[in-house]
Amino acid sequence: HPFSQQYLEQPVTLQAQDETMQAVLTTIENQTKVRFQYSRQLIGAGRRVSIQAENQPLGQVLHRLFDPLRIAYEPLPSGIVLKPAAKPAADITVSGRVLDEKGSPLPGVNVVVKGTSIGTQTDADGRYTLAAPEGATLVFSFVGYTAQEVAIAGRTSIDVSFAPNQAQLNEVVVVGYGTQQKRDVTGSIASVKGDVLVNQASQNPVSSLQGKVAGVQITNNGQPGASPQIRIRGTGSIQGSANPLYVVDGTFVDDISFINQEDIASIEILKDASSAAIYGVRAANGVVLVTTKRGKAGAPRINYNGFGGVQRVTNKVDMVDAAEYATLINERTGTQTLATNLPSTDWFDQITRTAAIHNHQLSLSGGSEKISYSLSGSYLKQQGIVKNNDYERITARLQTDFSPTDHIKVGYSAIFQNFRSTDVPADVLFYQAFVAPPVLPVFKANGNYGDAADFPLGNFANPSATLARYNQKSNGQQLVGNIYASLNFLNAFTFRTSLGLNYGIAQYRNYQAKDSLTTTQFAQRSLLTASNGKNNRWLWENTLTYDKTIADDHRLTFLLGVSSQRDQSNQTIGSVNDVPYFSESSLYLGLGTATTARIQTNADKFTFASYFGRLNYAFRDRYLLTATLRRDGSSKFSPDKRFGTFPSVGVGWVVSEEVFLKDGVFDQLKLRASWGRLGNNNIPSSISILTVSNSPGYTAIFGGSPFPGRNVNALEARVLDWETTTETDAGIDVGFLDNRLTATLDFYNRRVNKAIFDIPIPGTGGLADPRTRGNYASLRNRGVELTVGWNNQTTERFSYTTGFNVTYNQNRVLDLQAIGADFPSGNLPVGGVQTTITRVGLPLGSFLGYVVDGIFQTEDEVNNSPQAGSGAAPGSFRYRDLNNDGVIDANDRQIIGNPNPRFTYGVNLGFRYASFDVALDVQGVAGVEIYNATKGVRYGNENYTQDFYDNRWRGPGTSNSYPSAAIGGSDLNANTWYVEKGDYIRLRNVQLGYTLAKSFASTLRVQGIRFYANAQNPLTLFKYKGFTPEVGQLRGSSGNTSQGIDLNVYPLSATYNLGVNVTF
Amino acid sequence: LCLAALAGGTASCSKSFLDVDPQGQLPAEGFFETPEQAIEATNSIYGNLRSWPLVAFAHLAVTTLTSDDAEKGSVAGDASFLNDYDNFTFTSSQGILNDYWLGQYQGINLCNQVLANVPGISMDAALKNRLLAEAKFLRAHHYFNLVRAFGGVPLVLRPVTSSSTPDEINPLRNTREEVYAQIVTDLTEAGAVLPVSYPASDLGRATKGAALGLLAKVKLYQKQWAEVLALSDQVIGLGYSLAPDYEKMFRIAGENGPESIFEIQAQTIPGNCDASNSQWAEVQGARPQFGWGFFNPTADLENAYEPGDKRKDATILFRGETTAEGDKIDATAPNPRYNQKAYVPSSVDRACGYGKDQNIRLLRLGEVLLINAEAANELGQTTKALTAVNRVRARAGLAPLTTTDQAALRQAIWKERRLELAMENGDRFFDLVRQGRAGTVLRAQGKQFVDGKNEVFPIPQQQITITGGKLTQNPGY
Repeated sequence: HPFSQQYLEQPVTLQAQDETMQAVLTTIENQTKVRFQYSRQLIGAGRRVSIQAENQPLGQVLHRLFDPLRIAYEPLPSGIVLKPAAKPAADITVSGRVLDEKGSPLPGVNVVVKGTSIGTQTDADGRYTLAAPEGATLVFSFVGYTAQEVAIAGRTSIDVSFAPNQAQLNEVVVVGYGTQQKRDVTGSIASVKGDVLVNQASQNPVSSLQGKVAGVQITNNGQPGASPQIRIRGTGSIQGSANPLYVVDGTFVDDISFINQEDIASIEILKDASSAAIYGVRAANGVVLVTTKRGKAGAPRINYNGFGGVQRVTNKVDMVDAAEYATLINERTGTQTLATNLPSTDWFDQITRTAAIHNHQLSLSGGSEKISYSLSGSYLKQQGIVKNNDYERITARLQTDFSPTDHIKVGYSAIFQNFRSTDVPADVLFYQAFVAPPVLPVFKANGNYGDAADFPLGNFANPSATLARYNQKSNGQQLVGNIYASLNFLNAFTFRTSLGLNYGIAQYRNYQAKDSLTTTQFAQRSLLTASNGKNNRWLWENTLTYDKTIADDHRLTFLLGVSSQRDQSNQTIGSVNDVPYFSESSLYLGLGTATTARIQTNADKFTFASYFGRLNYAFRDRYLLTATLRRDGSSKFSPDKRFGTFPSVGVGWVVSEEVFLKDGVFDQLKLRASWGRLGNNNIPSSISILTVSNSPGYTAIFGGSPFPGRNVNALEARVLDWETTTETDAGIDVGFLDNRLTATLDFYNRRVNKAIFDIPIPGTGGLADPRTRGNYASLRNRGVELTVGWNNQTTERFSYTTGFNVTYNQNRVLDLQAIGADFPSGNLPVGGVQTTITRVGLPLGSFLGYVVDGIFQTEDEVNNSPQAGSGAAPGSFRYRDLNNDGVIDANDRQIIGNPNPRFTYGVNLGFRYASFDVALDVQGVAGVEIYNATKGVRYGNENYTQDFYDNRWRGPGTSNSYPSAAIGGSDLNANTWYVEKGDYIRLRNVQLGYTLAKSFASTLRVQGIRFYANAQNPLTLFKYKGFTPEVGQLRGSSGNTSQGIDLNVYPLSATYNLGVNVTF
Repeated sequence: LCLAALAGGTASCSKSFLDVDPQGQLPAEGFFETPEQAIEATNSIYGNLRSWPLVAFAHLAVTTLTSDDAEKGSVAGDASFLNDYDNFTFTSSQGILNDYWLGQYQGINLCNQVLANVPGISMDAALKNRLLAEAKFLRAHHYFNLVRAFGGVPLVLRPVTSSSTPDEINPLRNTREEVYAQIVTDLTEAGAVLPVSYPASDLGRATKGAALGLLAKVKLYQKQWAEVLALSDQVIGLGYSLAPDYEKMFRIAGENGPESIFEIQAQTIPGNCDASNSQWAEVQGARPQFGWGFFNPTADLENAYEPGDKRKDATILFRGETTAEGDKIDATAPNPRYNQKAYVPSSVDRACGYGKDQNIRLLRLGEVLLINAEAANELGQTTKALTAVNRVRARAGLAPLTTTDQAALRQAIWKERRLELAMENGDRFFDLVRQGRAGTVLRAQGKQFVDGKNEVFPIPQQQITITGGKLTQNPGY
């Protein structure tokens, strides 16, 4: 009744104290045009009431007046009819608690009985109590969340959890040079909140992303302190770096391992070209934006988070013991080379340990309307899983935003890191432990180190001796900071200037004492090496933003910017013999023999100058447009090819905002499409400039004295231009069931043109590295990404969330201008074996080799085969003569595997029950092959794996798949036996938390305490026979054509932590 | 200021802002301008002679292990791929062949850089001509190694640059004759310019004797006997004399001695072990005391010496023996024999590793006398031949040869050549091929040598792939 509704909005002023209802009604009738119709008896109009109101709408006044008296009213055009409320329901008292998605109490939530004005708000502890009719429904609402309706159904206790559904939709995501509401985004941007990272045991933020984001493949490196390899939507470069650009609070950095994870507010990954194009020539491999936490207005908030735990080796490959090793060596040499009763050493056990880790962080944040601040400090101490390896890190972070007036804002953030470490040559040690014969003792009876020269086996270092004599300490400091000022004028314009700095120092000293440990591990003179390195980068950016909403229908943001950057780094390494060791204080170069002093320097410098602009436009929240243009100049290229232009455009249609879909099954339906062009300039500086080689090997000796030699031994790189990546992306975002079920699907096609590629130059050119670099190839990554999330909204004490993401990627070489048609690569260090081929129509660096048909059982079989006279013997691989020409040669090789994973996926689960919470992350890779070179790359009598021992050929009929102990030599030719499935599934992270009851916490004078336990990598399932199925680039190789070739013998490790998080 | 301009983004400023020279490296554009740079560039060719493929596994496997003088050595199972060279079971994809190929051509490029660029430097003409002659000598040395191992190979005489044509970057194979002709040209030109000797500070550079001596050896392979005789006579007349003590000639003190014509100079350089990189002695040193123990003299070689031949003990280091320098070779060493010419006593500095000071003798008077003897005998000048060969025998403590039968003397000179030069510089296999008896001799040692195929090695498959098949394979591979 629109007409009668107007009645109820008329203002009323009352001052009734203990008056009859009839009198009050008359007062109202006098103040308004309303007439009441009622039976005095039926409604008990003689009852006395008290009510005060000042200019309150009549509707509210009537509520207050009649509800307690159980009188119903019905506004009709003729007047308001009053009668007793039908079947008055008994009120019951309902109480409960409202929590957010993390299980933290939500204060200030409105709790209202549906259809009434009866309501209350939750207190600081998220608790509420109200009286409501038994059969009523409660409505819980809070800004940023979807309101929830819960039927009371006779219960007296109702707890509610808010899931961040609506929050996600209205979520603000960080885009380059600004932020955007997620619903306005037209590209493919993945956002990971900091609290997701904090629940991980990993100390590297990139590593913690593993399995969290579709389209992002992360390959961890088992080496302590090493950064993982990250590939966004496949390997997008052949020779250049395929690493993404990292931007920390606006400052470009190459690596983010210096950041304490708890300082991160969010990580955004710009995957498609339209999102990343604002970073132009630096963006071809995607952009990772890291935003650190900033203070918020409010009371100071102090938080302590600390954990301690252990790291342990897992999935160790079983090596043979001394007796089995002796058996194998005797088989290999055909004589009784070794006795089979020698004591056995497990070298991996000798050099590794269960390593301790603990980390403490204290943070403080807060602010007022004008100023906000946050500061934090952390201390990490981590032992490596290799003995003697220790790492200590202190980080400090300080951030302030200050608004002196409504239009001016200034601020800064600074992250400082200081680390100290006692180093071990983990790379060398794991290799030595892998190959060292188990018959070699750690120590001999006389106390000297076990010496391989005592055995007729070849040269082997004693890994324990290597570890004991290695003496290296490193330290470094890094400051990454950003200072900005912004000015808002004419309401719609914002000018912002920002200066980013990245300044770092790194030092190490290595002391090789004069010693004689074994026949091969000795030093006649001591050698001190000291290195001092410095890097210095500044980035100055100025942007002007125009932000305007016109007539409620048009939202427009326009950005213009200029940017300049300079990078400079240098390292000086000095060494000298004969420095005596008294203590650390004597380890300075000046104390050595001056004539043996040597200095080396490495340096690099490059600059960028760029201009960019972006337009964001949304019409009625339905039709979205993003267009960017960046023009970049880089000093790395020759003057005539210095500037490049990188455009992109993205469009979106929020179908669910259309009238015809409103109130449909979709809470959200958005279609997106984008196209853009990006550049990759991740190549060495000044690459096109031919330089002179100073190789020490060129030193000539005349008359017993050295004379310097220099010469030109390279070919000018023909890099004419940067690589350009053209990417098309089409995506759809949907939400159902009050956005409890959400899904995002993206198709992408990334084509890299003018890919920088080292093509081999025939050896006749005599180049030291017989390759030349140029824009010689093009390739493509095509794929599909799917992300599905489910967030329940139960009001029970139990709640859960699940997420699933999967990516399919297909890599193809489209064009290649090598001199030969193919580009062989993946060179193994023994025998000149090449394991991969890069060829048009195939994935980058596909494995190429012979097909093993079995194992030769007898001499006769060898002599009657095409391999007669090739060195093959009983126990060698029998290769298939693919072209049936009676000869086994290079023409009998075929593609035998693909190192580029086809599928990567992750599953993330979260449960909460009362005070307990559990998080589980599972992650895996499928459809990938690994070339297990560790099985055959042997110089001689290296140790063997148990698997090899158990399955080897050792006489006719013993095996038709594994070769004899004589493996190596011509058996090393790339073949199918070395190629294994690299699929794996891993329990990446599991965390159990317990939040102390608020009441108990407050008796401890703290706001909240949460205890947690987590484990990283506790379980990895794979069939692969090496140490880990996460295999990156072949050790010692460059470029991306030698991926998935395993010569790594780093064991995987798992981390187990216990921690506590206290908010004061 | 420029910064202010940058903020405004003016192009002119960004242009200079974007001009950045390579840091810590000399641009090639400014190189080859001064006499010092001409010398440094020439020096690099000498330094490069010590590189791994030129002195260690690749060199020794191809030139020495294939012969009847050497076997793999070390311990069973260690570097077993080397057995392919002992047994002639290597295939074209065996990596060492590629190493050998690349190593020689890397040396050739350094020579070509000097020969292409030094002429344009304004400097003392005599010094310039000498440096060019040194480069020619060294280029000839590398091509001689290539042509003996592979037959005809691409003749690359100019550095590859960004303006090279596709055919220059990826050249066809030249014939064996063309390669030999170029070697002869280079050595002839070098011999005409190089000095007979140098002051002490330049000791180790190529001399006239080195160029003419190598030329004589090259002509020997071409059986141009008259020229071999004339050239070797000329070298013998340059003032060299046989070292009195054959064994001491191979110790450090015997380096660059009166008999020496050309040696690869090696030295321990304190503080710069990267420049003390010769592993020739290390890979052959008696295992485990002195090195890795590869490339051992065979029993066949041991048995080839006549009784009383001093060279036997000077060439073969026996397990359990005590050397003149007082080192006792472990009686339990894994191999019965090691190459004593690669023996570096324990008293020598090991700050950069084993045997970094050992020079590699490439050419000495002893060999030139035998070349002279061989040529004289082929030309029927028996007396002259006997004189030359008997000088060598006398030093070895052996009675003079007296036979005047040309065929018998030929065999005797060949045998003398084997024993005088055994384990020294990898001539034995190539000598057997040159003498047309490789198959007979090597099969008698149980090697699977195939006539008409194994006289040359296969062109490395890696190179054939890279060249898109433009390099053709040798017959039979």
